[in-house]
This record gives sequence, C-alpha cells and structure tokens, in this order.
Amino acid sequence: MPNTVEILLVEDNPHDAEMTVRALKKANLANKLIHVKDGAEALDFIFSRGDFSDRQIEDKPKVILLDIKMPKVDGIEVLRQIKANEITKTIPVVIMTSSKEEQDIIISYDLGVNSYVVKPVDFEGFAKAVSQLGFYWLITNQGVM
Amino acid sequence: MKRKSVFLNRLSIQQRLPLLICTFLLLAIVLYGLANYYSLKKAALIIGKDRLTSVTGQVSSMFAQSAQFLLKASHNAAASKEVVQFFKTNGKQYREESLKQLDGLSRDTTWVSMELIDPNGKTILRSEKSKVKVAIDASSVIAFNHLAPDSGTVGKIYVARDSMYYPIISTVNESQRILGYIISWKLLKSTPKALEQFSQLVGTGAGIYVGNTDESLWTNTVKPIPGPPIKLNHFNDLIEYKDADGRSMLAKSDPVPYTNWIVVIGFPEKLLLSSVNDFMSLIVIGGVVLIIIGVIAAWIMSRNISRPLTKLTNAATAISQGDYSATVDIYRKDELGELANSFNIMAIRIYKMHRELERKVNERTLQLENVNKELEAFSYSVSHDLRTPLRAINGYSVMLKEDYEDKLDAEGIRILNNVIGNAKIMGQLIDELLAFAKLGKKELTLLKVDMKQLAETVAAELVHNEEFGKYKINIDPSLPPAEGDGPMIKQAMMNLVGNAIKYSSKKQEPEIRIGAKVEPDRTVYYIQDNGVGFDMAYAGKLLGVFQRLHSIEEFPGTGVGLALVKRIIDKHKGQIWADAVKGEGATFYFTLPNN
Repeated sequence: MPNTVEILLVEDNPHDAEMTVRALKKANLANKLIHVKDGAEALDFIFSRGDFSDRQIEDKPKVILLDIKMPKVDGIEVLRQIKANEITKTIPVVIMTSSKEEQDIIISYDLGVNSYVVKPVDFEGFAKAVSQLGFYWLITNQGVM
Repeated sequence: MKRKSVFLNRLSIQQRLPLLICTFLLLAIVLYGLANYYSLKKAALIIGKDRLTSVTGQVSSMFAQSAQFLLKASHNAAASKEVVQFFKTNGKQYREESLKQLDGLSRDTTWVSMELIDPNGKTILRSEKSKVKVAIDASSVIAFNHLAPDSGTVGKIYVARDSMYYPIISTVNESQRILGYIISWKLLKSTPKALEQFSQLVGTGAGIYVGNTDESLWTNTVKPIPGPPIKLNHFNDLIEYKDADGRSMLAKSDPVPYTNWIVVIGFPEKLLLSSVNDFMSLIVIGGVVLIIIGVIAAWIMSRNISRPLTKLTNAATAISQGDYSATVDIYRKDELGELANSFNIMAIRIYKMHRELERKVNERTLQLENVNKELEAFSYSVSHDLRTPLRAINGYSVMLKEDYEDKLDAEGIRILNNVIGNAKIMGQLIDELLAFAKLGKKELTLLKVDMKQLAETVAAELVHNEEFGKYKINIDPSLPPAEGDGPMIKQAMMNLVGNAIKYSSKKQEPEIRIGAKVEPDRTVYYIQDNGVGFDMAYAGKLLGVFQRLHSIEEFPGTGVGLALVKRIIDKHKGQIWADAVKGEGATFYFTLPNN
C-alpha cells in the first residue's frame, strides 16, 4: 500500500511549522506532508479518530516529526501512545524540539523515540537539519511497510 | 608507688573502692590482732607460769607430806628401845619385839618388805609380813643415800618384776652412832582416786612426771614412762619442750623434800594460751565478717557511684552517636544527681538545638530545592521559549533575504544581515548561559584523565576548522594525568585552547604551548599563547560572566567561556589565574589537586 502521507508534522508553533515545511519543500520532500497543530489532533490522525476517522490506521506515515511542548496533549504523551500500540509502534518518530532538557531526552529514548533533534536557532542550521532528516527517513531509511 | 597507681588506674571505680577498703580493713585487723595477741600472750604466759609454779609446788609438797608421814613412822620404829637393844645385843635379845615393830610399819598391802639392816647392808631381821623379797641389794641403796646419824630418807624408785618400789630408810642410832638401818619397801602405785585428784589439781592435758633426782627413772605414779626431754639443770626456771605428740609444753620441776625424788609438771602451751587463741579466733572471725561487710558495703557504695556514671556514659555515647533524645534517669540529691541533672539539661538543650538545626536545614533545603526547581523551570523556558521566537526572527529574516533580496538595496541587505547575525549570537549566548547554569548543579564524576591525550584531542578538534599548519601547538609529551570529571575537564581545555587559538589568530606565527608542573599537593597545568594578550590591570574582570577585554569586532565571543572554565576548576577544588603581557601573549594556569 503506497503511503498517502509520508511526513506527519506535529507542531503548534506556526512559524516553526512554516520554516520546517519551507525547508522540506526546498528539498522536494513536502509533497505528501500533513501538518497537525497539537497532540490531540496528532493522535486522532494516527489512530484514525475524530476528523480523521475515514483514514485507515494501517496507512502509516513514513516519519512523524513531533514537537514536545504543545497545548492539550504534549509530544511525550503522543510518543507514548504511538509506541504502545502494536500497529503504530513501527512508525519512526523524530522529536524536534527547542528543549535541551536532559529529562526530556531520557524519557523520549525510554519510550522508544527513533531520533531526537534540538532545533538550532539560526535558520540555515535549522533548514539543513530538517532537510537531512527528511532525506534520511524518506529515502535512506527502510521502514516497515 | 608508680606501678601501684598504674595498677589502680587500670581498675574500674567499682573495683577500686572495695579493694581499698578490703586492704585497709585487713591491715587494721592484722595490726590490732597482732598487737593484742602479743600482749595477751605475754600476760597469759605470766599467769600460766605462776600457776605452773604453784601447782608444781603443791604436788611436790603433797609428796613431801606423805614422805614425812612415812618417815615419821619409820623413825619411830627405828628409835624404839627394842630395835636399838636388838642391834646392841647383836640380835640376841628383843628379836620378837623388834619383829613386832617391823610388822607395825605395814599398814596395808603396799608395804612389801620391812627389814633391819646392819651398817654393812646385810639384812639381819625381816618382818614376817613381808610378802615379796625385793631383789635389790639393800647395801647399795643405803650407800647411795649417805645418811647422817639420826636421819632418814625416802630413796630412789626402783623397778623390779614390773612393779615400782621405793625404800623408806631410817637410821637406828645410839649417841650419834649408826647401829644399823630400818628399811621398808613400798609399792608405788597410785589409786585411781589419787590420780583423779592429781589431774584436778594440775588440769587436763598436763603431764606429771615423778622421777629420781639422778633421772634414772621416771613414772607417772602408775607405771614407768620415758622422762620429759629436758635437762633439769635449773630447778627454778621454766622449761619449754615438745612432747611426744609434738605439742609445745611448758614445764616446771621441783625437788621433793625428804626424798630423792623430783616432780616435773608440764602444761601444754596451747592450754595456757587457750584464752589468747580464743581471742585470736574471735579476731579472725570478726575480721573476716568485717571485711565481708566492708567489701559488700563498698561494692554497693561504688556501684551507687559507678552505675549512674555508666548511665551517663551510655547516654553521652548515645548522643555522640546521634541519638539526641537520650537522657539519664538518676534521681538523687547528691553530686551525682546534680551531674545527671546538668547532663539532662544539656542533653535536652542539645536535642532542641539539634531539632532546631534540623528544622532549619530542612527549611533551607526545601527553599534550595524550590529555588532549584524554579531555576530548572526558568532554564527550560529560556531554552525553549526564548529560542523559538529567536528562531522565528532569524528564520523570517533569512526568508526575507532569500525571497526579496532583489527588492532591497545594499543598506537594506546590510541591516537584514545584522538582524540575522545578532539573532544567531543571541542563540549562542542563550546556549552558553544555559550550559553555565547547568554546570552548577552537575555532580562530579572523578576518574583518571589522560591529560596528554585530552589535550591532543582538543587541539585536533579545534584546529580542524582553522587553517592547518598555521598554528604550532606544542603539547608537553610528559603531561601528567589528572583526577577529574572527563567531559568537564575537556570543556575547560576546549575553552582555554580555543581562546589561545582565537587570540593568537592575528599573529604571523601563532604558537600555543600546553604544559604542566607537578607540585606536592597539586598539578599546575598551563596554556600559553603568543597572541594579543591583555592588560593585567583588567585581569580581575577576566573570569566573570559576560566580561570581555576585547571588542566583538576584534574577536567574536560571548564572554561566558572563561567563566565556565573557572566554574569547572572551582568544582574540582582547583585554582585558575592568568598572566599576560599586552601584545605578547597570555598564559592561563589552572590547578587540579593530586589524589
């Protein structure tokens, strides 16, 4: 089954989201990208609930780019639920956050995060990191179909 | 004296007092007992001697009276007209009458032989009543006695046929001329009654010896016995000897008048001293009882002292081991009670102070924890919340530049570049400040750090992005290892070597030297460069946060690097300082303690 969505971007900050999408577009990786604005929406999408109930849960994105600090449901909780579900736990999850808190890093790896990236402040570094991520998870990495 | 005190010091108080009291009591009792014993013994001996002398005299005179009585009868017979005539007529006349006289001497069965003897010792008349012929030559008996005319004596005791006999001899005279002798032999045998009288007189345990003055025979008046083991040289003196049973005896001898006998009476010294010995037993028993009572009393007394002391010691130990609620339950009105009271007051105060201290520590800890939590929350929000808008500023500026560069003139682009650059620097500042803050609460993990390898790694990493070959980095090959937190020490070296590279970058031949000097307690590491150096007048500002001695145009930087190094070295209990000449270079020193 071809992935209808390749990248799920979970990001509450519209500016960060815009910059991420811009960086991915520049690298030609944003064709199959969907952006949700908080953790609750992300869970609805992943588990085909609410607004996304017509989706198939098996139609998994190739990678989830997940922010931590979000309203309603934070990124850590989203990660926990993804990794606790038999179907979704194989989806690669990359935490993209401004936080360098060791606690967040440790919990994330405990829950089985596939990558943890601290967003650089300068845009050039940020764009470089995002495009590298996109390339790696969409093209280089062989995921579970 | 010194040894004794050391010995006493080794004993506990509970042992010392009873021991001392026991010793003093023993000494007192022994001294008292001995002193009394000797005076009492002396007195008892004097009394005993007096008694002995008197008893011996009495016995002697008893014998003398008997002898006198016997001699009188014998003398009367000897002086009778019939006996004198019998001798004068050479036995031709008065034979019957003389026999009658001889017969008359015999009062009972103890008279065994009555004879008349001529001056040569020859028996010329013998009483019919004589039952036994005493087998002793009468002539030798008379010769031995050397009797003067008109005298008589009781002679030595002889043993014949298992019986003891003694002669009673009187001279038969006419006008001071000895015509012959009358001799009567008497059996020596005391009746039980007489013996009882004797022993009543002298007392039980006493020894009675009757013997001949020449000591040829001794008897207890019943049978011959071995004589006392003494020499009878001085009749008036007391003689001490040991009898056959080994008893100490005290004896007195007395010659018996009218006889050839001697009386010796021996008293066992023990008997004489029985009262003294009784007194001594009393002293010993009393002394033992006294000592036992004294020791028990002393034991109780010292226990009374040592028990509260033990309680105090236990309580003090408990307090010293952290049990601040320990008190002692001693309810007394003496000095120990006061001590216990003071101790309890002290213990309660310590307890209160300790509780207060603990409360304060807990309070402060709580405050500190709260501050820490706030700081953490702050750093979290700084790292997240400040960086996000900063990234937006930077990102949108870049986007603006990318998308609208052709619509901006050179000045517009310059301004935009400044916005981008400053946002970037602020990002760095935030990161370094966070790292600096985090360092404060980080725990040290002390391990051995190979400083030479670390310096090489740091140099390689830093020079990697610079023009290779331009920098001459000289690392002392014998750089000694350090004890420290590896990543932190690396961070410090990174900043110091980084600074050295930065500030020597404008030199033609930048040279950096990394070395060390081992001191007794610490090792001084140094990083020396030949860069721009700085004015030593500002050296004090060097290590503060955000302090810079050069403009940002001259040398970029945030001013956090050296503050971070100082913090790392402080955490390792080391020192850091710098030495510089403006325009000629700087040397940074830091020390790490040797383990």
